[in-house]
Amino acid sequence: MSTSRISRRGFLAGSAALGVTGVLSGCVGGGSSDDDGGTADTSSTEAPSDASGPVVLQSSLSDPDPKAALESVLNGYTEGDVTLNTVAIENYRAQLPTYLSSSEPPDVLTWYAGSVARDYASKGLLLDLSELWEGDGACAGFSDALRSLSSADDGTQIFVPTNYYWWGIFYRKSAFDEWGVEPAETWDDFLALCEDLQQQGVTPLSMGTGSTPWVASGWFDYLNMRVNGPEFHRALLAGEHSFDSAEVRAVLDEYAKIVPFIDPNGRSYSWQDAVTPLVQKEAAMYLIGAFITQTVPEEDVDDIDFFRVPIIDASLPVGEEAPTDGYFAAANSTRPEGAKALLSYLAQPDSQQQFIEESGSSNLPTSPDVDTSGFSPLVQKGIQHLEETDEITQFFNRDSSDELQTTADTALTRFLDNPDDVEQILADWQSAAERVFEG
Amino acid sequence: MSSTATVSGQATTGPPHRRRPAAAVRRVPRIVWLFLLIPLAVELAWVFWPAINSFSLSFTRWSGVGAAENVGLDNYRNLLDDPIFRTAAKNTVIWTIGFGGLSVLIGLALAVALNRPRRGVGIYRSAIYLPMVFSLVVTGLFWRVLYQPDGAVNSTLEAIGLDGVSRQWLADPDTALYAVLVAAVWRQVGYIMVLYLAGLKGVDPSLEEAAAVDGATAWQRFRHVVFPQLRGVNTVVFAVTVIDSLRTFDIVWAMTRGGPYDSSQLLSTYMFQQGFTLVNLGYGSAIAVVIFLLAIGFIITYLVRATRED
Repeated sequence: MSTSRISRRGFLAGSAALGVTGVLSGCVGGGSSDDDGGTADTSSTEAPSDASGPVVLQSSLSDPDPKAALESVLNGYTEGDVTLNTVAIENYRAQLPTYLSSSEPPDVLTWYAGSVARDYASKGLLLDLSELWEGDGACAGFSDALRSLSSADDGTQIFVPTNYYWWGIFYRKSAFDEWGVEPAETWDDFLALCEDLQQQGVTPLSMGTGSTPWVASGWFDYLNMRVNGPEFHRALLAGEHSFDSAEVRAVLDEYAKIVPFIDPNGRSYSWQDAVTPLVQKEAAMYLIGAFITQTVPEEDVDDIDFFRVPIIDASLPVGEEAPTDGYFAAANSTRPEGAKALLSYLAQPDSQQQFIEESGSSNLPTSPDVDTSGFSPLVQKGIQHLEETDEITQFFNRDSSDELQTTADTALTRFLDNPDDVEQILADWQSAAERVFEG
Repeated sequence: MSSTATVSGQATTGPPHRRRPAAAVRRVPRIVWLFLLIPLAVELAWVFWPAINSFSLSFTRWSGVGAAENVGLDNYRNLLDDPIFRTAAKNTVIWTIGFGGLSVLIGLALAVALNRPRRGVGIYRSAIYLPMVFSLVVTGLFWRVLYQPDGAVNSTLEAIGLDGVSRQWLADPDTALYAVLVAAVWRQVGYIMVLYLAGLKGVDPSLEEAAAVDGATAWQRFRHVVFPQLRGVNTVVFAVTVIDSLRTFDIVWAMTRGGPYDSSQLLSTYMFQQGFTLVNLGYGSAIAVVIFLLAIGFIITYLVRATRED
């Protein structure tokens, strides 16, 4: 009986004390962050017994086809057990920092090459994968462009690229035949082509910037590379130049020339919705990634073709967007050897080929040893398209950050509505970008 | 003898006035304490603890990686300079007034109109209540289809000769917020109507008849006889509406994601975007604290007024 005599006052005092100590000690990464703070120290004293367990692969590939393809690739892995966790992309993006900084992180994770991976590497969260890029490592034969894309600021490699895709102006061959027009190679020809199509009552350009406003950045990236060059483009996205500058104004001047040709209804569409007018031959062209083939009805895929965004200044090196996907490993991994073995397997030509074929995408393999002769003519053309390119970029958000992307979304969708309001839009864009870079 | 024994026995077996409150507490069985403590612990761990955390988070800059950097009041200072935050705050005020006002007005009007028993009234009532069974996200997707450039809204307007009015409702920064508001009110009115219908059942019809005999017009009868009797329901409706409008998030996110160019951003959607899409946990928490203060302010003011009236 006496043990249950909890006086109300005593109980409240006790629970308050619990609460307060909690507030003082455990709040928000303040005190507790010491053990999850990022050091590249991979020596794992925490769970040595666990080191022999299955390698954990955290995947953001939640669409049915890519997910099934990855599962089937993993079924062929014989050097150990793999646990595959698939998380929907939106959650994955938000949780990724937590995954990487936890004391028992997933060992291998899917993500993007470029500044995003570099950012995590600079915080010491990624495992050094240089040995895969040396000697007879799985990535040793990859191109130099991919090597530099996969390198951290300190020169070590922290990423394993396994596939990438290209961007271009997609159109229907049969539709172009009906309208009697040809793809354009120069900017003036392109504008004349748009004019011609509009005269024929066809919407020249489709673009879904409603629920996917980032699509508007495609034209911005390309025009910036065509007007100011890839070098300036990268520096701009890294915060080294102002958006409120003569160079960016020149880009929007060119952009303004195509605004009248863009389907006005696109403002209400997602990028997928905007494919429909193209397929139905109501709109003629769409600057988008090769993933467009996933949304085109199967019987029309063979009718889809693309051409390079026309050159404006021939003296500049030609830049193309080629967003690269792949894997990195967590620095805190308790099974670094297992992680590297799995990464080597995923980077093999056979694995790459199997994944690309089964996922039904138009992605390109990163390994030069993949036999591409069986790929569709469109993909063959994509491979050649990127081989003829001087410089590769990743896309606005991958070359900068998701946060800078939101400033571009705001500025560019505003610009599409009011192309005459450039001065104010650029000034606002720059001040929003400054807040991002300071944060 | 026996009677004295009874008397003395009564005297010794504790007279009722000796039972102090402490003794009553002591008599609460252990199992009841268990039933109280477990939910309390869960509540503390899963509700209060994270809530307190978000207060302390709002004084830091933290991307979820590494240690949180203490920045003092910087997040709040940045909020004041942030044009998107100002738009979101303004929109939240518009939303609270528009959503609350319209759904209460229309809901009350429908309740009064459908209060009298007549043929088919049940069908009308259930038809109006029906949208309430859809989740806000489904409502949002449904209305997004209606608002498409060649969707039902625009084709109806064109059919009745109002071509000039048709536009891209969700893609036009001047109309996006209001277009979402209409969808949200469409869903909410049924709920408010049902609450008022229940209230109207408690109104004494003989009072209204007496007023009619005295020559009061329909409006006077409603304003001075019926409405004062709905005070209890008004309290419930007010609380429900304020809470619903401040926590609105899903329908806006499903329909516009705060766009185009942040013109339909509410505090809640901006908080979500900052906190969870961009993982600026400190800044997002600062916005959450502002929402919390607003909600608490509203509710305390209201409670103080309500208790004073009583």
